Amino acid sequence: MKKKLFLLFIISFSIFIASCKVTYRATVLQFKNYKISDTIQVSKTIQSLVKPYKDSMQKNMGVVIGHADKLLDKKLPESSLGNFMADACFKMAEKKYKTNIDVAFVNYGGIRLSEIPKGNITKGQIYELMPFDNLLIIQKLKGNVLQKFLDLTASQGGVPMSGMTMRIVDSQTGKKAIDVLIGGKPIDPDAIYNVVNPDYVANGGDDAIMLKNIPQISAGYLVRDALFDYIKELSAAGKHITAQVENRVTYAQ
Amino acid sequence: MLSRKKFIKQAALASGAIMFNSSVASAADYITPIRLTILHTNDTHSRIDPFPMDGSSNQGLGGVTARAELISKIRAAEEHVLLLDAGDIFQGTPYFNVFKGETEIKAMAAMKYDACTIGNHDFDAGMENLATQLTNHASFPMLVSNYDFTNTPMEYKTAPYKIFKKGRLKIGVFGIGIEGSGLIADNLFGNTKYLDPVQKANELSDLLLREKKCDMIICLSHLGFKYKDNKISDEILAKETEGIDLIIGGHTHTFFDNPIIYKNKKGSDVIVNQVGWAGIVLGRIDFEFSKFSGKKIMGNHNLFVSQKTIG
Repeated sequence: MKKKLFLLFIISFSIFIASCKVTYRATVLQFKNYKISDTIQVSKTIQSLVKPYKDSMQKNMGVVIGHADKLLDKKLPESSLGNFMADACFKMAEKKYKTNIDVAFVNYGGIRLSEIPKGNITKGQIYELMPFDNLLIIQKLKGNVLQKFLDLTASQGGVPMSGMTMRIVDSQTGKKAIDVLIGGKPIDPDAIYNVVNPDYVANGGDDAIMLKNIPQISAGYLVRDALFDYIKELSAAGKHITAQVENRVTYAQ
Repeated sequence: MLSRKKFIKQAALASGAIMFNSSVASAADYITPIRLTILHTNDTHSRIDPFPMDGSSNQGLGGVTARAELISKIRAAEEHVLLLDAGDIFQGTPYFNVFKGETEIKAMAAMKYDACTIGNHDFDAGMENLATQLTNHASFPMLVSNYDFTNTPMEYKTAPYKIFKKGRLKIGVFGIGIEGSGLIADNLFGNTKYLDPVQKANELSDLLLREKKCDMIICLSHLGFKYKDNKISDEILAKETEGIDLIIGGHTHTFFDNPIIYKNKKGSDVIVNQVGWAGIVLGRIDFEFSKFSGKKIMGNHNLFVSQKTIG
């Protein structure tokens, strides 16, 4: 009988152990950031997976199309890379649309390389600089609407621009654009300006809601193609890219 | 036929053995914690090859072949690994302009990613294209809980969450996408409906924790680390929700020196981490899980955090 009791005890104890509700909780965390560099061996599997894509890409994208005399970099409120791109958009819009242009902008967030080193520029670099299929469009903006857009860009710390200059000032309602000169003349709130923008911005991107419902003139011309065409024109004329910072956008003290 | 005496003796031995085994197992569990290694990337942006050796500051960094090799080495050393990505897989190199994301997704499938979420740039070649690339080449789910894709080409192509079983652990992973308006062109975002991230995150954490009995909740977020204004971010998500243990972030391309710890609504630790962009860094977070009695889980808890020196 003692054995039976012992057995019963063992069985019930086993059941108790098994039914005991347990849960797991993270108590210790260790972290590490691995820099992915060429000191790590390459995976042969992935290398052969990528190879056909890479070969086709290099044939196409390795072509040298121009030359930068010094490093072009991306900064706010103004930078050499931003000025080069805005100038390209200004010049190529003028040519493509056969009309006078007052100002051209490039959305800062759409510039996807932080710099282009001094030296040869390849087709692939321009794809990386402007990978988006944004269209180069024109909107006819009244001066007061343009001013609203400029105030927005001031609040965002500036924007690459061509054809105008401005200063950013802190006001009680946030940052504003002041001393706006378009083609050297003060902005006229009632005048109509031919403004070039990527369609992304004209469609209200980067919070540019004031542009959203204004008609766009579009020839289906990509911003990237404007960059290609501009560099090709420079190269054909034996010129290099020499863009620099020239106080288009500054902070008012 | 066994005699009654012999039967009792054998039965006693058998249950003794069961008891002995189970108590040994439990004791071992209490002493030896379970390890889980989380590997993560975000905003890889079609960076298939390393940055070219052209004198730029990122030259030689990134690239899927080196990343894959490192991942397979870590996998060889660790039993339980989850490999996750926080979105913006697409856009940034000509690979995407030419092949529309095929190379990126195929490489991720080959590296055995467990899950990713959706970034704003994953819409760049259209939802139809994203759906096609995922259907044809992905072996991992795209998780997003706050986009309603009803009547879009992405309908049924994503899941709100997935539960991963790692040993005795159940890890719940869900995804959160960024607001499309003002960021993603209308023609690309289409009929997608954006839903409140905090509400969805709480809903899913609750489901995964209480109903699905997960031991850990991970949120893959493309909201961005933090902003100057009150725009919803990983920081706000961490503070305003309850139940998330880890947020793997993206979008703002922020290189964290170390994971940042916030307190959630209930005072428990929430870890946020992000590893910049372009696959320059692979993030690794190792958790050790210890056993607790069921009642303690609802209380607030804190983690002991340190930098990993080896491995």
